[in-house]
Amino acid sequence: MDLNFIPLAFGQILSPLTVGYALAALGLAVHFGFTGLLNFGQAGFMAVGGYFFAITTVKFDWPLWASLIACVVGAILFALLLGIPTLRLRADYLSIVTIAAAEIVRYTVKTPSISNLTGGSDGINGSSRDFYRLNPLPDIRYGYGVLSYNNNEVWSMIVGWTVVIVAAVLVWQLMRSPWGRIVKGIREDEDAVRSLGKNVTWYKMQSLILGGVLAALGTVLVIIPTSLQPDNYGTQTTFFLYTIVLLGGATTVLGPIIGSIIFWVVLSLSDGILTLLVSNHLLPITSVQQGPIRFIIVGIALMLLVIFRPQGIFGKKREAHFSG
Amino acid sequence: MADANTTRAKLQIGEPGPGVKKVDPILVAHGVRRSFGGVSAVDVEHVEIPRNAITALIGPNGAGKTTFFNLLTGFDKPDTGTWELNGKSLANVPAFKVARRGMVRTFQLTKALSLLSVMENMRLGAGDQSGERILTALFSGFWRKREKEITDQALDLLTRFKLDTKKDDYAASLSGGQRKLLEMARALMSKPELVMLDEPMAGVNPALTQSLLSHILDLKKEGMTVLFVEHDMHMVQTIADWVIVMAEGKIVAEGYPDVVMRDPAVIDAYLGAHHDTDLGSLTGQLEVAKELGDSFLVNEISEEISDEASSKETTDGQ
Amino acid sequence: MTLAGTAPRRKTRWFVVIFAALAASAFVFSSAGTAFAADTPTPTPSASTAAAQSIGVWVRVAADKSNVAGVKVTITGPKGFNSAVVTGADGKATVPLDKPGTYKVALDASSIPAGAGAVLGTNPRDVSVGVGNQGVPAYFLLGSAATTPSPGSTAKPSPGSTSSGTSFGELALQRVATGLIFGLLLALASIGVSLIYGTTGLNNFAHGELVTFGALVGYIVSGTMHLPGWLGILAALVFGGVFGYLQDLGLWKPLRKRGVGLIPLMIVSIGLSLALRYIYQFVFGPGLLVTPSDNSSFLTLGPVHLRFTDVSSPVVCIVVLLLVAFALLRTRIGKATRAVSDNRSLAAATGINVERVIRIVWVAGGALAGLSGALIGYYQPINWETGGSILLLIFAAVTLGGLGTAFGALIGSLVIGLLVDLSTLFIPSNMKFVAALAALIVILIFRPQGILGRRDRIG
Repeated sequence: MDLNFIPLAFGQILSPLTVGYALAALGLAVHFGFTGLLNFGQAGFMAVGGYFFAITTVKFDWPLWASLIACVVGAILFALLLGIPTLRLRADYLSIVTIAAAEIVRYTVKTPSISNLTGGSDGINGSSRDFYRLNPLPDIRYGYGVLSYNNNEVWSMIVGWTVVIVAAVLVWQLMRSPWGRIVKGIREDEDAVRSLGKNVTWYKMQSLILGGVLAALGTVLVIIPTSLQPDNYGTQTTFFLYTIVLLGGATTVLGPIIGSIIFWVVLSLSDGILTLLVSNHLLPITSVQQGPIRFIIVGIALMLLVIFRPQGIFGKKREAHFSG
Repeated sequence: MADANTTRAKLQIGEPGPGVKKVDPILVAHGVRRSFGGVSAVDVEHVEIPRNAITALIGPNGAGKTTFFNLLTGFDKPDTGTWELNGKSLANVPAFKVARRGMVRTFQLTKALSLLSVMENMRLGAGDQSGERILTALFSGFWRKREKEITDQALDLLTRFKLDTKKDDYAASLSGGQRKLLEMARALMSKPELVMLDEPMAGVNPALTQSLLSHILDLKKEGMTVLFVEHDMHMVQTIADWVIVMAEGKIVAEGYPDVVMRDPAVIDAYLGAHHDTDLGSLTGQLEVAKELGDSFLVNEISEEISDEASSKETTDGQ
Repeated sequence: MTLAGTAPRRKTRWFVVIFAALAASAFVFSSAGTAFAADTPTPTPSASTAAAQSIGVWVRVAADKSNVAGVKVTITGPKGFNSAVVTGADGKATVPLDKPGTYKVALDASSIPAGAGAVLGTNPRDVSVGVGNQGVPAYFLLGSAATTPSPGSTAKPSPGSTSSGTSFGELALQRVATGLIFGLLLALASIGVSLIYGTTGLNNFAHGELVTFGALVGYIVSGTMHLPGWLGILAALVFGGVFGYLQDLGLWKPLRKRGVGLIPLMIVSIGLSLALRYIYQFVFGPGLLVTPSDNSSFLTLGPVHLRFTDVSSPVVCIVVLLLVAFALLRTRIGKATRAVSDNRSLAAATGINVERVIRIVWVAGGALAGLSGALIGYYQPINWETGGSILLLIFAAVTLGGLGTAFGALIGSLVIGLLVDLSTLFIPSNMKFVAALAALIVILIFRPQGILGRRDRIG
């Protein structure tokens, strides 16, 4: 019996995917948990950031810093595009426009006629060029047993987690500042905050931009060690992020990060267990049928979380800001 | 209320009546109209609010008082109209800027920010905090000093409003009356010139009523102007210097409280409001809807009424 | 009830509007008469395997999109990876991969059946696979180079009667027709969304899955049980209604009872959407499902040949939509529905059983969505996310018409259907949804309450 999947699953703790989702989930927590913005298109922010970075790096040969700026600018533009028409309206409008916009980004980058730019359905490979060039680590193997990484993989993890920690500190500092007080006030009742002389729409926009930029940067950290695939940024990605955010607690800074770790470890473990059961014919399903199961689990987990533990697994019940 | 007749300064120029000019108006509104689907909810020809006085805005349910409040404070947009605070136009000024100009309001249904502590609620009311800008927010050095000032000011107010022991509790844990107090105290954080209170007494436990009244009187002593919507006639008579009566969107009477309360037109406006209400008719429903404070339904029924009216017209024309 | 009973004027106005819209669509449809081309983008079937990554190979004939079985495919990759697979009856093969990276996928030309033609586009082809990517597409089209689209382009069912020399005007007319038909199909689904929103305040993000459900029921009845098409459509209608009923009974009603807020409910709906979508994939597989339909000409108008489904679907749509309009305007339950939409508490106070209304709305919403799905199945192959992929169009339509207004949903759907199809005259068909989003954004900026919505107070 091959039990390698167990250490591999725990290897997810450090993986680029966990890093990227942690950042994107932190961004979503800024939107949803702290400001009360119902953004159902976080995957769109991820895709926009990823494509701005990958296109400028791979197709335009821009240096790393310039591509990073492009990625941030892309996320800001996307936030403005979605925010300007919707942020002064009821919460539902933002959710509808964001979920639509995210899917449209995905369809658009897959358009064959611009595939020389976007790579079509195949996406873009090779965003790592400059990033690996900056790698100071010697080219040896790191790790133990099945969890063995080359120097570039370790470099990605180090940089990735550094960015996550810096972002978490920034968000934490913001949320304990007067700025954070205002966005939290908006979450509770935006008219009250408006009556106190705060430009509510502008604060919502700032929040949308901040969370969007975090998602965009998160994607960069995922696509550098792997590749950019349009179909990784479908609606299911946003739903994964909601699960992560609700798992850890939407109104906390550490919640989304811990949520991301738990999410990927559990998903990886469940995949491993399923594979084991299927390959040993202990479950009467085919290996093709095994694929959707993780999504079914996540979907049901998301529903159960919202209904029964909206405060997340660590939070206190009364802190679930939308329980009422 | 007793001293009103003897020592009061004259607030108006000429005989009291709808639209009368004031000696020193702080807020002047002219031709403010707002209709929902053809039915006029607010139709104020002219009104002036006297400075450094307590003005009560009264009227039966559905008279358009809250809608008028919303219009003045930028929470709703009128079809036409101009209004100015201290001579500066407030028409088309967004709600948050109205508040910054020194005209702060509270809401009929209390809007305490439940999952913020009482203290955080208070701090939110203060202005001029550079830490509210996203970049300076990142460095507490920029805003810590101001935050200390704000906190002191908030503690002061909370003590006055007897909420200081609750300062670290979630606002959600307060009673309805305490939330009203909190909302009022929070509005005072920005040191406004004109405080607009929408039904400050609604849902307040009688034990708290007296202290609320004295708080409102204190505001005047501190040089502020108060405009409030209220149903409780006792309260109006106790603290108001001036009373404005609205009915069916219009201002039907204005004057000193003791005089206005005896005005047959006012009594009529109040008594006439419901004694012949027919719930089977559209207008009856409209009144109920207005009483429920449901603007959407008001629109809906109003539209039905206007449709019916226009269909009648066509029939008559034939 | 008094509320609804006092609107004779509006009733007539409504009938005129609806009739005008429907008659116009029927007219344009019959004059332009084309087969349906309002393809929703066929979502990529992602094959899934036990491995952490996989490549999904799919070989089809470019001309008729038929699947090609028995083609040998070799995949080579990093660290000496080498694997060979043969496409199955569905033209597909899945290659499990342990490591992400770039793989070379090569079709063995000698294994291609005679008559299918040669591989169009690059062969072998490089496919890059990221961590955790399942079913990374490696799709090949076969045919003679002249008749086929550029490699990698999304399959688009070609309009039945387009000749190569179609003028722009004819093309535009054709798109108007297909757009209206698509709009009608969209309307069936949108009305449910709108009614559910109106009566419960919930934006149901799992509504697309009701559409898919109907499509799958149609597929089971007509595709696998080989029963007549009308029976499939009827079954989709009935089972869609049952599904809607069960959803309300088992999920939404208990949540309403618990007093769960609207925002958590919306998140529950996305969770449900995710779960349902992949349950469909679990049961029906990731591939495309084709509901067989009689391709022979049913009606001939000059040079235009119409299949039976081309004629019957719009007719069915129009009849059903008129029935819905009639029900909303003239029947007791319809009036009650509108009263609940207007004001729930007042409706309850006037003796309307709100829960009953909501239950009926769920049944009707499910039935209409199911019908819409089944009809879509006759125009294009369906799969597990057929409904999910039109969800954004449904929402665009509903918002455009005015959230919560049933007739707004109808008009919004027709507008969106037209817009999306007409936009393909100017922009690549993959990007046609951009037009819908642009319309949505413009309407939100200038008239956020939608075409038929009333001006509500906005911040």
